[in-house]
Amino acid sequence: MTATENSTNYKWVGTRPIRHDGFDKVVGKARFGADLDLPGQLHGAFVRSPHAHARIVSIDTSAAEAMPGVKAVVTGADFPALDPTHPNFDTAVNCMARGEVYYHGHAVAAVAATTNAEAKAAAAAVKVEYEALPAVLSIADSMAEGAPLANPNNYTKFAPPGDPSNLATITNLARGDVDQAMADADVVVEMSFDCAHVHQGYIEPHACVVDYGDGKANVWCSSQGHFRVRSMTADVLGVDNSKVKVVPAEIGGGFGGKTTVYLEPIAAKLSEKSGKPVKLLMTREEVLRGSGPAPSAELRIKIGATNDGELTAIDGWMAYGVGAFSDMAGLIGAMSVASYKFPNLRMETYTALTNTPKSAAYRAPSAPHAAWAIESVVDEIATELGMDPIDLRLKNAAVEGDLTAMGMPHPRVGLVECLEALKASDHYQSEPAEGTSRGMAVGFWFNIGEESSATVNLNEDGTANVITGSPDIGGSRASMALMAAETLGIDVYSITPIVADTESVGFTDVTEGSRATFATGKAVVEACEDLIEQLKARAATIMGVDVGEVAWVDGAAVSPGHGGGEGGDPLTLAQITAQAKRTGGPLAATASLNAAGAGPSFAVHCADLKVDEETGEVEIVRYTAVQDAGTAIHPSYVEGQMQGGSVQGIGWALNEEYIYSADGAMENASFLDYRIPVASDLPLIETIIVEVPNPAHPYGVRGVGETGIVPPMATIGNAVKAATGVRMTSLPMSPPKVLKKLNER
Amino acid sequence: MSQHRAFTGGVAVVQADGATVGQIIDDLEANYPGLGMALRAGSSAGIDGEIHAEPEYVPVTAETEIYFLAPVVGG
Amino acid sequence: MSRTHINCIVNGEPIDFLAADATSLLDALRDELGLIGTKEGCGTGDCGSCSVLVDGKLNCSCLILAPEVEGREILTVEGIADGDQLHPLQQTFLEGAALQCGICTPGFLVAAKALLDANPDPTETEIRYGLAGNLCRCTGYDKIVRAVQEAAVKLNSTSKQGV
Repeated sequence: MTATENSTNYKWVGTRPIRHDGFDKVVGKARFGADLDLPGQLHGAFVRSPHAHARIVSIDTSAAEAMPGVKAVVTGADFPALDPTHPNFDTAVNCMARGEVYYHGHAVAAVAATTNAEAKAAAAAVKVEYEALPAVLSIADSMAEGAPLANPNNYTKFAPPGDPSNLATITNLARGDVDQAMADADVVVEMSFDCAHVHQGYIEPHACVVDYGDGKANVWCSSQGHFRVRSMTADVLGVDNSKVKVVPAEIGGGFGGKTTVYLEPIAAKLSEKSGKPVKLLMTREEVLRGSGPAPSAELRIKIGATNDGELTAIDGWMAYGVGAFSDMAGLIGAMSVASYKFPNLRMETYTALTNTPKSAAYRAPSAPHAAWAIESVVDEIATELGMDPIDLRLKNAAVEGDLTAMGMPHPRVGLVECLEALKASDHYQSEPAEGTSRGMAVGFWFNIGEESSATVNLNEDGTANVITGSPDIGGSRASMALMAAETLGIDVYSITPIVADTESVGFTDVTEGSRATFATGKAVVEACEDLIEQLKARAATIMGVDVGEVAWVDGAAVSPGHGGGEGGDPLTLAQITAQAKRTGGPLAATASLNAAGAGPSFAVHCADLKVDEETGEVEIVRYTAVQDAGTAIHPSYVEGQMQGGSVQGIGWALNEEYIYSADGAMENASFLDYRIPVASDLPLIETIIVEVPNPAHPYGVRGVGETGIVPPMATIGNAVKAATGVRMTSLPMSPPKVLKKLNER
Repeated sequence: MSQHRAFTGGVAVVQADGATVGQIIDDLEANYPGLGMALRAGSSAGIDGEIHAEPEYVPVTAETEIYFLAPVVGG
Repeated sequence: MSRTHINCIVNGEPIDFLAADATSLLDALRDELGLIGTKEGCGTGDCGSCSVLVDGKLNCSCLILAPEVEGREILTVEGIADGDQLHPLQQTFLEGAALQCGICTPGFLVAAKALLDANPDPTETEIRYGLAGNLCRCTGYDKIVRAVQEAAVKLNSTSKQGV
C-alpha cells in the first residue's frame, strides 16, 4: 500500500522489476566474500586476546612457525606504527594489537598455512605472555571518578587539549529555559533506561582473499564500501592507495557492520610474507567477539507537557558505551533527537570507552537508544493525559523549519504524513484482537549524502551499462537501473547495472546512511542527463538541424518543425547509438559528486502483542511500519528495508544482547545463544510507504535503510505497558526481565 | 554546542566573517584559538537547511545559516 | 593425512571425491566439488545457510561429515533449477523480492523445497515453523513467507493440470 503525495507519473520509477542480479542469487552462482579461491592460496587464522585489558609482554611465534604447513606469522610488529592522530590509527590497532590488548577477542597475531586446520593449530601454538591491566566493562565503570583508562590513546574530541580520558565526546545541546518549563509543566515524567550491546547479525561472516605481489595488494572481499577498504588497508600497511586494488564480492548483509576492515590488511601482510594468496575468514564466534557491535547505553529522560498535550521541555542525559576506541555515538545520539518541537531542550550526552569490542555502525547508529527512551516517556505522558498517542505526537510533530536538537531547522519532512497514514490504516482503525494490546512509536534518521561516482556507457545497440562503486546490499542495482531507465527513456532490462572495483569507477563512499539510492542514484541520473545532451547533439547532426531545436522525449530525439530522422520520425536512442561512429564516437558519461541535501526520513510503527504472564514471553501478533521514503524507486525493496529494519528492532527489543562474563568475555558468541528473530517468532510486517519527495534528489529519494530500526523498541515497550501495566526500561525485554517486572507489580 | 564555549571564554554567540565556510572557521580560529580545529573536526554542516559533508569551500553570505555538525554516519 | 574416497549422487549426478574424515559435507561441497551456492553462516547448525537435502531430508551440511554421505543422494541449491528453467520457488523469490543481500537465499530455497515436497499446501504458520531453522537478517521473513505461499499455489496448479 502506498500513501502518496507524489503526483509525478513516472514510467519506470516506482515499478517492481526483477532485480538484475537476482538469477545468480537464486541458483547459487553469486560470489560472496568466501566464494573465491585462488590457486595455491593459504588459509589464515587469528590469535585473539583472552583478556579484556592487558599489556603484551612478549609474543613467541617460533613454535608456530615450525609447524607443518605454516608459511607466515604476523604480529603488530609487522605493521608500521601510525601516529595516534592518524585517522586510521584506531582501525590499525583494532586490526592487530600493539603493546596492549583492549578487549577479550582483540587480534594479537595471525598465521597463514596450507590448510585451515594447520593454520588453526599453529595459531594455538603462538605463545603470548600478558600482564593483566584493570579493565572497565560498563558505562558506569568507565565514567566513575578515578576509573582506569580503557585505552590510553583516547582523548576527548572537540575539546581543548587535555589528558587521556575514557570519554570520547561530551556534548551539551540546549535551547530555551528547561528548568522554568519543567516548573511550569502540568505533567512531568522522568525515567531511566538501559540498552545492552547488540550485533548487526549479518549472516555472512567477514571474509577476504588477498594476493600480494609486485608491491601491490589485490583484495577480494565483501564490504559496504570497497574504496574505504582500500584506504584503510593502504593506511594500515603504510602504502599508497594505488598499491591496493579492491574487487567487491557480493555482500551478505552489513547493516553498518561492514563499513570498516578487520581482515584485509592482515591477509595482505600474510600474503606479502608468504608470497602466496591468503584467504582469511571469521568464524561466527569471531564475528561476535571480534567485530563491532552497536553501543550499549544508559539514558535518563525527563519530559514536561501541558494538560492539552504540548510537549514543552525535554531534559536528557545519555551515555553510550562504544567499546575500546574513540567514537561519536553520544554526540550523534544527541543530534538524533528531532521528532518533536520541544521549545525547551537540554541534552547532555557522553561517549564512554569500555574494554569491549570496538563499536561499529548499526542502522541509524545511536538513534534507536535515544528513541527507545524518549518514545517510552512520551507514551507515559499520553497515558497520563488520556490522549491518543498518535494525536499527542501529531500535536508536537516536527515540520519544516522546526529545530532538531542540534539547532538546525528541518527541511521538508514527512512525520505528520506518516502519523496520519498510521492513524488512517486498517491496523490502527481495527480494535486489537482479543487478548492483545497495542503500542506505537516514532523514529527519525538524518540520512546522508557523501561522495559517489557513476559511469554510463551506451552500447552500439542502444543498451546501456551503468557502472557505480556502491555495493548492492539489498537491491540497489535494480534502483540504479530504474533511475537510468527513467532518465534515458529506455527499458530497465536493457540496462546492465555493474558494481565496479576500485580501479574501474570513480571514488565512491561506503553504502551506509541510506545514501546509495540518494547519492549514487543522483550521480547515475547526472551521467544520464549528460548523455542526453550528447544524444541530442548526435541527433542534430543526423537530422541536419541545430541542436537547440532537438528535444529528448520518451527515449528519443525529436525536432518539431523539422521532422525527426528519415520520414520525420523521432530518432530513438538505439538509432542514434547505431550511428555513433559516424557522429563522433562512443557515447559515455561520468558524473562524480558530493551530494548535499540528504532528506531525513521518519518512521512510525505500531504493534499488537500478547504477554505470557507465566513465562514473560512477548508474542507479536500484528505489526505495521509506516515510513517516508521520499520516492520509492523500487517499492518492493523499500518495503523490504522497512520490514528488515522492523524485525532487527524487534530482535533488539525482545532477545538480543551481549552477555559478558565478569572478566569481559562474551558468553553467548553463537547464533544459538545470541538469538536473532526467526520466521516463527513473527507475523507478516505490514508496510505503508509515504512519499514526501526530497527536493534535493531528481526523483525525490530520501533513502530508507536506516529509520526502520528506530521505532520498534519503544513500540513494543509501549504495547507491553498497555498489556500488563508494566513499563519496561531495560533492553532486551527478554522473558526473565519481563517476568521479574510482572512479579514486582 | 556548549562544549565549544570552552574555546570562547564561555561566550555563546560570537561574530565571524568570511565568504566561505572555511573562511568563517579561519576567522573564528584567529579570535578563539582551538575553535576552528574543533569545528573542522566535525567536518559537516547544515547550510540553509541542506547537510553538506566537508563544506570548506561552500560560499556563504551574511544571511546564510550554518550549523556545524558531527559527521553523520550510518549503518 | 588419510582421505576417504566417497561416492554419492549430487544434484542427480553420480560423483566421487576424496575427503579427510573430519571434513564437513559443507566444506566438501564447497572446496572439493566447487558448489559454492551452499553457504556457511555459523558452522554450528544455527543459521541454516548451509541447508541441503540428504535423501530428500533437510539437513545442515555443516553438521554432517563428508564420509557420512557415502551412497546417498544430495540436493543443493544448484540442483533446484532445471538448467535455465527456474523452480517456482526461485521464480517467486525473484518476483516477490524475497531476497535482499541473498546470502541466506540458497538455504531458504532448499528448506522451502523440503517443506513443499512434504506439505504441498502449508498454512502461513506451517511455513514459518518449516523455515524456523533458517536465519535471514535482511527481510524480516515477510516476503520469504509470501514467496513460499505463491510457489505453493503455482506448484499445485501445475500438478493439477498434470492430472
